[in-house]
Amino acid sequence: MNPRRADFERFVADSSDTLLRTAYLIVWDLGEAEDLVQETLLEVARRWPRIRRMERPIAYARRILVNRALSGSARRTRRRQELIAPIRSEPEAAPDRAAEIGVADELMDALAALPPRQRAVLVLRYFLDLPEAEVAAALKCSLGTVKSTASRGLARLERAMRGTNDPRSIPT
Amino acid sequence: MNDQLESDLREALRARAAQVPAAVAVRLAHLDYRPRTRRLRPPVAIGAVASTAAAAGILAVIISLGAGASNAFAGWTAKPTKPTPGQLAAAGAACRRSQSSVAGVPLAVADTRGPFTFSVYANSESTISCIQGPSFVALSQSQSSSPVNVPADQVQLASMHRANRHGQAFGFAYGRTGTGVSAVTLGLDDGTKVQATVANGWFIAWWPSSHRLESAELTTPAGSSTQKFDLPSMPGGCNTNKDCPEGGAVQDMNGAGGHAKGESLSSSQ
Repeated sequence: MNPRRADFERFVADSSDTLLRTAYLIVWDLGEAEDLVQETLLEVARRWPRIRRMERPIAYARRILVNRALSGSARRTRRRQELIAPIRSEPEAAPDRAAEIGVADELMDALAALPPRQRAVLVLRYFLDLPEAEVAAALKCSLGTVKSTASRGLARLERAMRGTNDPRSIPT
Repeated sequence: MNDQLESDLREALRARAAQVPAAVAVRLAHLDYRPRTRRLRPPVAIGAVASTAAAAGILAVIISLGAGASNAFAGWTAKPTKPTPGQLAAAGAACRRSQSSVAGVPLAVADTRGPFTFSVYANSESTISCIQGPSFVALSQSQSSSPVNVPADQVQLASMHRANRHGQAFGFAYGRTGTGVSAVTLGLDDGTKVQATVANGWFIAWWPSSHRLESAELTTPAGSSTQKFDLPSMPGGCNTNKDCPEGGAVQDMNGAGGHAKGESLSSSQ
Protein backbone atom coordinates (compact mmCIF):
# COMPACT_ATOMS: atom_id res chain seq x y z
CA MET A 1 0.00 0.00 0.00
CA ASN A 2 1.41 3.38 -0.91
CA PRO A 3 2.11 5.80 1.95
CA ARG A 4 -0.52 8.30 0.88
CA ARG A 5 -3.25 5.70 0.87
CA ALA A 6 -2.03 4.28 4.15
CA ASP A 7 -2.13 7.76 5.68
CA PHE A 8 -5.65 8.27 4.48
CA GLU A 9 -6.89 4.94 5.76
CA ARG A 10 -5.29 5.65 9.12
CA PHE A 11 -6.98 9.03 9.17
CA VAL A 12 -10.36 7.46 8.44
CA ALA A 13 -9.85 4.85 11.13
CA ASP A 14 -8.83 7.45 13.67
CA SER A 15 -11.38 10.11 12.88
CA SER A 16 -14.59 8.48 11.73
CA ASP A 17 -15.90 7.74 15.21
CA THR A 18 -15.42 11.29 16.46
CA LEU A 19 -16.74 12.78 13.25
CA LEU A 20 -19.81 10.58 13.42
CA ARG A 21 -20.60 11.45 17.02
CA THR A 22 -20.00 15.12 16.35
CA ALA A 23 -22.26 15.02 13.32
CA TYR A 24 -24.90 13.15 15.28
CA LEU A 25 -24.95 15.82 17.95
CA ILE A 26 -25.17 18.63 15.44
CA VAL A 27 -27.86 17.22 13.16
CA TRP A 28 -29.51 15.11 15.88
CA ASP A 29 -30.20 12.24 13.49
CA LEU A 30 -28.04 9.17 13.04
CA GLY A 31 -28.84 8.54 9.42
CA GLU A 32 -28.15 12.10 8.48
CA ALA A 33 -24.96 12.01 10.52
CA GLU A 34 -23.80 8.96 8.57
CA ASP A 35 -24.46 10.77 5.33
CA LEU A 36 -22.50 13.76 6.53
CA VAL A 37 -19.50 11.74 7.60
CA GLN A 38 -19.41 9.91 4.31
CA GLU A 39 -19.68 13.12 2.35
CA THR A 40 -16.97 14.64 4.49
CA LEU A 41 -14.60 11.72 4.10
CA LEU A 42 -15.19 11.62 0.38
CA GLU A 43 -14.29 15.27 0.13
CA VAL A 44 -11.25 14.73 2.31
CA ALA A 45 -10.27 11.82 0.07
CA ARG A 46 -10.44 13.97 -3.02
CA ARG A 47 -8.20 16.59 -1.41
CA TRP A 48 -6.03 14.20 0.56
CA PRO A 49 -2.74 14.97 -1.18
CA ARG A 50 -3.05 18.51 0.13
CA ILE A 51 -4.81 17.79 3.41
CA ARG A 52 -2.30 15.16 4.50
CA ARG A 53 0.37 17.83 4.60
CA MET A 54 -1.63 19.92 7.02
CA GLU A 55 -0.66 19.98 10.65
CA ARG A 56 -4.12 18.81 11.76
CA PRO A 57 -6.17 17.20 9.01
CA ILE A 58 -8.96 16.52 11.49
CA ALA A 59 -9.56 20.25 11.86
CA TYR A 60 -10.06 20.55 8.13
CA ALA A 61 -12.38 17.55 8.07
CA ARG A 62 -14.33 18.99 10.96
CA ARG A 63 -14.78 22.24 9.08
CA ILE A 64 -16.15 20.37 6.05
CA LEU A 65 -18.47 18.40 8.27
CA VAL A 66 -19.83 21.41 10.12
CA ASN A 67 -20.33 23.43 6.97
CA ARG A 68 -22.15 20.60 5.28
CA ALA A 69 -24.25 20.02 8.35
CA LEU A 70 -25.30 23.64 8.53
CA SER A 71 -25.73 24.27 4.83
CA GLY A 72 -27.71 21.17 4.00
CA SER A 73 -29.43 20.34 7.23
CA ALA A 74 -32.95 21.31 6.29
CA ARG A 75 -32.82 19.77 2.85
CA ARG A 76 -31.37 16.50 4.07
CA THR A 77 -33.78 16.27 6.95
CA ARG A 78 -36.77 16.72 4.71
CA ARG A 79 -35.53 14.18 2.22
CA ARG A 80 -34.52 11.60 4.82
CA GLN A 81 -37.86 11.82 6.54
CA GLU A 82 -39.54 11.19 3.24
CA LEU A 83 -37.33 8.21 2.60
CA ILE A 84 -37.17 6.56 5.94
CA ALA A 85 -40.47 7.14 7.58
CA PRO A 86 -42.54 4.79 5.44
CA ILE A 87 -40.49 1.62 5.82
CA ARG A 88 -38.11 1.80 8.73
CA SER A 89 -39.61 -0.16 11.56
CA GLU A 90 -36.94 0.28 14.18
CA PRO A 91 -34.61 3.14 14.95
CA GLU A 92 -31.01 2.30 14.21
CA ALA A 93 -29.80 4.23 17.21
CA ALA A 94 -29.86 2.69 20.62
CA PRO A 95 -32.82 3.57 22.80
CA ASP A 96 -32.66 6.95 24.45
CA ARG A 97 -30.79 6.38 27.68
CA ALA A 98 -31.07 9.90 28.97
CA ALA A 99 -33.27 8.94 31.85
CA GLU A 100 -31.00 6.07 32.86
CA ILE A 101 -27.98 8.26 33.21
CA GLY A 102 -29.72 11.06 34.96
CA VAL A 103 -29.59 13.74 32.32
CA ALA A 104 -32.65 15.92 32.41
CA ASP A 105 -35.09 15.31 29.63
CA GLU A 106 -35.60 19.02 29.47
CA LEU A 107 -31.98 19.57 28.55
CA MET A 108 -32.09 16.94 25.82
CA ASP A 109 -35.28 18.44 24.47
CA ALA A 110 -33.81 21.89 24.61
CA LEU A 111 -30.69 20.75 22.79
CA ALA A 112 -32.79 19.14 20.11
CA ALA A 113 -34.77 22.34 19.70
CA LEU A 114 -31.76 24.61 19.30
CA PRO A 115 -31.10 26.06 15.87
CA PRO A 116 -28.39 23.92 14.20
CA ARG A 117 -25.82 26.68 14.30
CA GLN A 118 -26.21 27.24 18.02
CA ARG A 119 -26.10 23.52 18.64
CA ALA A 120 -23.00 23.21 16.47
CA VAL A 121 -21.20 25.84 18.51
CA LEU A 122 -22.14 24.14 21.77
CA VAL A 123 -21.14 20.73 20.47
CA LEU A 124 -17.75 21.92 19.34
CA ARG A 125 -17.23 23.85 22.54
CA TYR A 126 -18.63 21.45 25.14
CA PHE A 127 -18.42 18.01 23.52
CA LEU A 128 -15.13 18.33 21.69
CA ASP A 129 -13.83 20.91 24.18
CA LEU A 130 -12.41 23.00 21.39
CA PRO A 131 -11.09 26.45 22.19
CA GLU A 132 -13.28 29.24 20.90
CA ALA A 133 -10.72 30.06 18.22
CA GLU A 134 -10.96 26.54 16.81
CA VAL A 135 -14.72 26.70 16.92
CA ALA A 136 -14.53 29.91 14.93
CA ALA A 137 -12.24 28.24 12.41
CA ALA A 138 -14.58 25.28 12.04
CA LEU A 139 -17.54 27.56 11.48
CA LYS A 140 -15.57 30.05 9.40
CA CYS A 141 -16.78 32.92 11.54
CA SER A 142 -15.32 35.41 13.98
CA LEU A 143 -14.46 34.77 17.59
CA GLY A 144 -17.11 37.25 18.59
CA THR A 145 -19.74 35.36 16.65
CA VAL A 146 -18.78 32.16 18.41
CA LYS A 147 -19.05 33.82 21.79
CA SER A 148 -22.40 35.40 21.08
CA THR A 149 -23.82 32.26 19.50
CA ALA A 150 -22.69 30.13 22.40
CA SER A 151 -24.13 32.63 24.83
CA ARG A 152 -27.49 32.61 23.09
CA GLY A 153 -27.50 28.84 22.96
CA LEU A 154 -26.70 28.48 26.63
CA ALA A 155 -29.34 31.05 27.44
CA ARG A 156 -31.94 29.04 25.60
CA LEU A 157 -30.90 25.92 27.43
CA GLU A 158 -31.03 27.71 30.74
CA ARG A 159 -34.48 29.00 29.94
CA ALA A 160 -35.63 25.52 29.10
CA MET A 161 -34.15 24.11 32.29
CA ARG A 162 -35.92 26.75 34.31
CA GLY A 163 -39.09 25.91 32.55
CA THR A 164 -39.92 29.45 31.58
CA ASN A 165 -40.59 31.01 28.24
CA ASP A 166 -40.23 34.51 29.53
CA PRO A 167 -37.60 36.08 27.27
CA ARG A 168 -37.00 38.82 29.81
CA SER A 169 -35.35 36.30 32.08
CA ILE A 170 -32.75 35.29 29.54
CA PRO A 171 -29.27 36.63 30.07
CA THR A 172 -27.65 37.53 26.77
CA MET B 1 -23.52 31.47 32.60
CA ASN B 2 -23.52 29.09 35.51
CA ASP B 3 -21.08 26.24 35.79
CA GLN B 4 -23.81 23.76 36.60
CA LEU B 5 -25.47 24.30 33.25
CA GLU B 6 -22.19 23.86 31.43
CA SER B 7 -21.50 20.70 33.38
CA ASP B 8 -24.98 19.36 32.65
CA LEU B 9 -24.53 20.23 29.00
CA ARG B 10 -21.28 18.30 28.75
CA GLU B 11 -22.93 15.32 30.38
CA ALA B 12 -25.96 15.52 28.11
CA LEU B 13 -23.81 15.71 25.00
CA ARG B 14 -21.70 12.78 26.11
CA ALA B 15 -24.83 10.77 26.84
CA ARG B 16 -26.32 11.62 23.49
CA ALA B 17 -23.08 10.77 21.68
CA ALA B 18 -22.96 7.44 23.50
CA GLN B 19 -26.19 6.47 21.78
CA VAL B 20 -24.32 6.05 18.51
CA PRO B 21 -23.73 2.33 18.05
CA ALA B 22 -20.03 1.60 17.69
CA ALA B 23 -20.82 -0.63 14.74
CA VAL B 24 -21.96 2.36 12.73
CA ALA B 25 -18.61 4.07 13.07
CA VAL B 26 -16.85 0.82 12.21
CA ARG B 27 -19.00 0.47 9.13
CA LEU B 28 -18.20 4.01 8.08
CA ALA B 29 -14.52 3.43 8.60
CA HIS B 30 -14.62 0.43 6.29
CA LEU B 31 -16.27 2.10 3.35
CA ASP B 32 -14.09 2.84 0.40
CA TYR B 33 -13.25 6.52 0.25
CA ARG B 34 -9.94 6.08 -1.48
CA PRO B 35 -8.81 8.96 -3.62
CA ARG B 36 -8.58 7.90 -7.21
CA THR B 37 -5.08 8.19 -8.48
CA ARG B 38 -5.79 7.58 -12.15
CA ARG B 39 -8.46 8.46 -14.60
CA LEU B 40 -10.76 5.93 -16.13
CA ARG B 41 -9.84 4.83 -19.58
CA PRO B 42 -10.20 7.48 -22.25
CA PRO B 43 -13.41 7.54 -24.27
CA VAL B 44 -11.68 6.40 -27.45
CA ALA B 45 -10.88 3.03 -25.96
CA ILE B 46 -13.42 0.28 -25.76
CA GLY B 47 -14.23 -0.01 -22.13
CA ALA B 48 -14.26 3.63 -21.28
CA VAL B 49 -16.92 5.01 -19.06
CA ALA B 50 -18.35 7.91 -21.00
CA SER B 51 -17.08 11.27 -19.89
CA THR B 52 -20.19 13.12 -18.96
CA ALA B 53 -21.61 14.84 -15.98
CA ALA B 54 -23.66 12.42 -14.01
CA ALA B 55 -25.66 12.06 -10.88
CA ALA B 56 -24.25 14.15 -8.10
CA GLY B 57 -24.65 11.82 -5.22
CA ILE B 58 -26.72 9.06 -3.76
CA LEU B 59 -28.67 10.36 -0.85
CA ALA B 60 -30.04 7.21 0.64
CA VAL B 61 -30.58 3.58 0.06
CA ILE B 62 -33.13 1.75 2.08
CA ILE B 63 -33.70 -1.95 2.07
CA SER B 64 -36.50 -3.81 3.64
CA LEU B 65 -36.35 -7.57 3.78
CA GLY B 66 -39.63 -8.89 4.98
CA ALA B 67 -40.72 -12.26 6.19
CA GLY B 68 -39.22 -15.09 4.23
CA ALA B 69 -36.11 -13.10 3.51
CA SER B 70 -34.08 -16.27 3.12
CA ASN B 71 -35.85 -16.75 -0.18
CA ALA B 72 -36.03 -13.08 -0.91
CA PHE B 73 -34.67 -13.42 -4.42
CA ALA B 74 -36.39 -16.61 -5.51
CA GLY B 75 -37.67 -16.27 -9.03
CA TRP B 76 -34.96 -13.93 -10.25
CA THR B 77 -33.88 -14.49 -13.84
CA ALA B 78 -30.74 -13.42 -15.66
CA LYS B 79 -32.85 -12.18 -18.54
CA PRO B 80 -35.70 -9.74 -18.16
CA THR B 81 -39.10 -11.32 -18.29
CA LYS B 82 -42.33 -10.01 -19.66
CA PRO B 83 -44.31 -8.31 -16.91
CA THR B 84 -47.43 -10.04 -15.81
CA PRO B 85 -50.66 -8.07 -16.08
CA GLY B 86 -50.66 -5.42 -13.41
CA GLN B 87 -47.06 -6.09 -12.32
CA LEU B 88 -45.73 -2.68 -13.28
CA ALA B 89 -48.69 -0.88 -11.77
CA ALA B 90 -48.38 -2.84 -8.54
CA ALA B 91 -44.66 -2.16 -8.33
CA GLY B 92 -45.23 1.53 -8.95
CA ALA B 93 -47.79 1.67 -6.21
CA ALA B 94 -45.47 -0.15 -3.80
CA CYS B 95 -42.62 2.20 -4.57
CA ARG B 96 -44.83 5.23 -4.07
CA ARG B 97 -46.03 3.84 -0.76
CA SER B 98 -42.44 3.34 0.35
CA GLN B 99 -41.26 6.70 -0.80
CA SER B 100 -43.72 9.47 -1.41
CA SER B 101 -41.42 11.49 -3.64
CA VAL B 102 -41.60 8.76 -6.30
CA ALA B 103 -45.04 10.07 -7.13
CA GLY B 104 -43.63 13.31 -8.47
CA VAL B 105 -40.98 11.77 -10.69
CA PRO B 106 -41.78 10.15 -14.04
CA LEU B 107 -40.89 6.53 -14.70
CA ALA B 108 -37.86 6.37 -16.99
CA VAL B 109 -37.49 2.62 -17.39
CA ALA B 110 -38.70 -0.58 -15.74
CA ASP B 111 -37.10 -4.03 -15.67
CA THR B 112 -38.99 -7.14 -14.66
CA ARG B 113 -37.44 -10.47 -13.67
CA GLY B 114 -39.94 -12.97 -12.43
CA PRO B 115 -41.80 -11.38 -9.55
CA PHE B 116 -39.35 -8.50 -9.24
CA THR B 117 -39.66 -5.07 -10.77
CA PHE B 118 -36.74 -2.70 -10.90
CA SER B 119 -37.83 0.82 -11.79
CA VAL B 120 -35.87 3.98 -12.33
CA TYR B 121 -37.68 7.28 -11.98
CA ALA B 122 -35.90 10.38 -13.19
CA ASN B 123 -36.41 14.05 -13.80
CA SER B 124 -34.11 17.05 -13.88
CA GLU B 125 -33.76 17.08 -10.11
CA SER B 126 -33.44 13.51 -8.98
CA THR B 127 -33.12 9.89 -9.97
CA ILE B 128 -34.85 7.29 -7.84
CA SER B 129 -34.45 3.56 -8.22
CA CYS B 130 -36.84 1.08 -6.70
CA ILE B 131 -36.58 -2.68 -6.70
CA GLN B 132 -39.78 -4.29 -5.56
CA GLY B 133 -40.47 -7.95 -4.99
CA PRO B 134 -42.49 -10.25 -2.78
CA SER B 135 -40.32 -9.70 0.30
CA PHE B 136 -37.76 -7.24 -0.86
CA VAL B 137 -37.79 -3.49 -1.33
CA ALA B 138 -34.76 -1.39 -2.19
CA LEU B 139 -34.86 2.32 -2.78
CA SER B 140 -32.16 4.76 -3.66
CA GLN B 141 -32.25 8.38 -4.59
CA SER B 142 -29.61 10.55 -6.14
CA GLN B 143 -29.47 14.21 -6.81
CA SER B 144 -30.10 15.69 -10.19
CA SER B 145 -27.98 14.90 -13.18
CA SER B 146 -26.52 17.31 -15.61
CA PRO B 147 -27.57 16.77 -19.21
CA VAL B 148 -26.06 13.52 -20.33
CA ASN B 149 -24.28 13.15 -23.64
CA VAL B 150 -23.23 9.55 -24.01
CA PRO B 151 -21.31 8.55 -27.15
CA ALA B 152 -23.58 6.63 -29.49
CA ASP B 153 -21.79 3.32 -29.13
CA GLN B 154 -21.23 3.41 -25.36
CA VAL B 155 -23.05 3.37 -22.09
CA GLN B 156 -22.53 5.47 -19.03
CA LEU B 157 -22.78 3.77 -15.68
CA ALA B 158 -24.56 6.12 -13.30
CA SER B 159 -24.85 3.98 -10.21
CA MET B 160 -23.76 0.55 -9.07
CA HIS B 161 -24.57 -1.05 -5.79
CA ARG B 162 -23.55 -4.21 -3.95
CA ALA B 163 -24.51 -5.22 -0.47
CA ASN B 164 -24.80 -8.11 1.88
CA ARG B 165 -27.68 -7.86 4.26
CA HIS B 166 -28.01 -10.79 6.60
CA GLY B 167 -26.58 -13.08 3.97
CA GLN B 168 -28.82 -11.70 1.25
CA ALA B 169 -26.40 -10.25 -1.21
CA PHE B 170 -27.51 -8.35 -4.24
CA GLY B 171 -26.27 -5.75 -6.64
CA PHE B 172 -27.79 -3.40 -9.13
CA ALA B 173 -26.62 -1.02 -11.78
CA TYR B 174 -28.19 1.50 -14.06
CA GLY B 175 -27.07 4.17 -16.43
CA ARG B 176 -27.60 5.82 -19.77
CA THR B 177 -27.09 4.36 -23.21
CA GLY B 178 -25.80 5.97 -26.35
CA THR B 179 -28.28 6.28 -29.18
CA GLY B 180 -26.74 3.36 -31.07
CA VAL B 181 -26.88 0.87 -28.23
CA SER B 182 -29.77 -1.55 -28.60
CA ALA B 183 -28.83 -4.23 -26.08
CA VAL B 184 -26.66 -4.46 -22.98
CA THR B 185 -25.52 -7.57 -21.15
CA LEU B 186 -23.65 -6.98 -17.93
CA GLY B 187 -20.72 -9.21 -17.00
CA LEU B 188 -19.94 -9.94 -13.36
CA ASP B 189 -16.57 -11.01 -12.04
CA ASP B 190 -17.66 -14.63 -11.64
CA GLY B 191 -18.60 -14.85 -15.29
CA THR B 192 -22.31 -14.41 -14.73
CA LYS B 193 -24.08 -12.59 -17.54
CA VAL B 194 -27.06 -10.46 -16.72
CA GLN B 195 -29.06 -9.10 -19.60
CA ALA B 196 -30.11 -5.55 -18.86
CA THR B 197 -33.33 -3.91 -19.85
CA VAL B 198 -32.63 -1.17 -22.37
CA ALA B 199 -35.26 1.45 -23.05
CA ASN B 200 -35.68 5.19 -23.32
CA GLY B 201 -31.93 5.80 -23.26
CA TRP B 202 -31.41 3.81 -20.05
CA PHE B 203 -30.09 0.40 -19.11
CA ILE B 204 -30.89 -1.23 -15.79
CA ALA B 205 -30.32 -4.61 -14.22
CA TRP B 206 -29.82 -6.25 -10.85
CA TRP B 207 -28.51 -9.57 -9.64
CA PRO B 208 -28.85 -11.62 -6.45
CA SER B 209 -25.20 -11.80 -5.49
CA SER B 210 -22.41 -9.54 -4.35
CA HIS B 211 -20.34 -10.24 -7.41
CA ARG B 212 -18.67 -7.29 -8.95
CA LEU B 213 -19.76 -5.64 -12.16
CA GLU B 214 -16.90 -5.79 -14.61
CA SER B 215 -18.13 -5.14 -18.09
CA ALA B 216 -20.99 -4.71 -20.49
CA GLU B 217 -21.45 -6.32 -23.86
CA LEU B 218 -23.07 -3.78 -26.12
CA THR B 219 -24.99 -4.34 -29.30
CA THR B 220 -24.78 -1.50 -31.77
CA PRO B 221 -25.38 -1.16 -35.52
CA ALA B 222 -21.67 -1.80 -36.01
CA GLY B 223 -21.83 -5.10 -34.17
CA SER B 224 -21.01 -5.95 -30.62
CA SER B 225 -18.35 -4.57 -28.33
CA THR B 226 -17.32 -4.93 -24.74
CA GLN B 227 -17.13 -1.98 -22.41
CA LYS B 228 -15.22 -2.54 -19.22
CA PHE B 229 -15.96 -0.68 -16.01
CA ASP B 230 -13.09 0.41 -13.87
CA LEU B 231 -14.76 0.40 -10.49
CA PRO B 232 -12.98 0.79 -7.19
CA SER B 233 -13.16 -2.36 -5.12
CA MET B 234 -14.63 -2.61 -1.67
CA PRO B 235 -12.21 -3.12 1.21
CA GLY B 236 -11.60 -6.78 1.73
CA GLY B 237 -12.65 -7.81 -1.70
CA CYS B 238 -16.42 -8.09 -1.51
CA ASN B 239 -16.36 -10.79 -4.12
CA THR B 240 -18.39 -13.29 -2.18
CA ASN B 241 -21.38 -12.99 0.04
CA LYS B 242 -19.17 -13.76 2.98
CA ASP B 243 -16.57 -11.17 2.12
CA CYS B 244 -18.88 -8.38 1.14
CA PRO B 245 -19.12 -6.08 4.14
CA GLU B 246 -22.37 -5.95 5.97
CA GLY B 247 -24.00 -2.68 5.13
CA GLY B 248 -22.83 -2.53 1.55
CA ALA B 249 -22.11 0.52 -0.43
CA VAL B 250 -23.31 2.51 -3.33
CA GLN B 251 -20.85 3.49 -5.95
CA ASP B 252 -22.08 6.57 -7.67
CA MET B 253 -20.08 7.01 -10.81
CA ASN B 254 -19.17 10.40 -12.13
CA GLY B 255 -17.71 9.28 -15.41
CA ALA B 256 -14.06 9.71 -16.28
CA GLY B 257 -12.04 11.05 -13.43
CA GLY B 258 -15.01 10.73 -11.15
CA HIS B 259 -15.16 9.10 -7.81
CA ALA B 260 -17.02 6.32 -6.18
CA LYS B 261 -19.24 7.23 -3.32
CA GLY B 262 -19.72 4.91 -0.41
CA GLU B 263 -23.04 4.87 1.30
CA SER B 264 -24.24 2.80 4.17
CA LEU B 265 -27.60 1.13 4.13
CA SER B 266 -30.49 1.24 6.46
CA SER B 267 -32.50 -1.89 6.76
CA SER B 268 -35.34 -3.41 8.61
CA GLN B 269 -36.89 -6.81 8.72
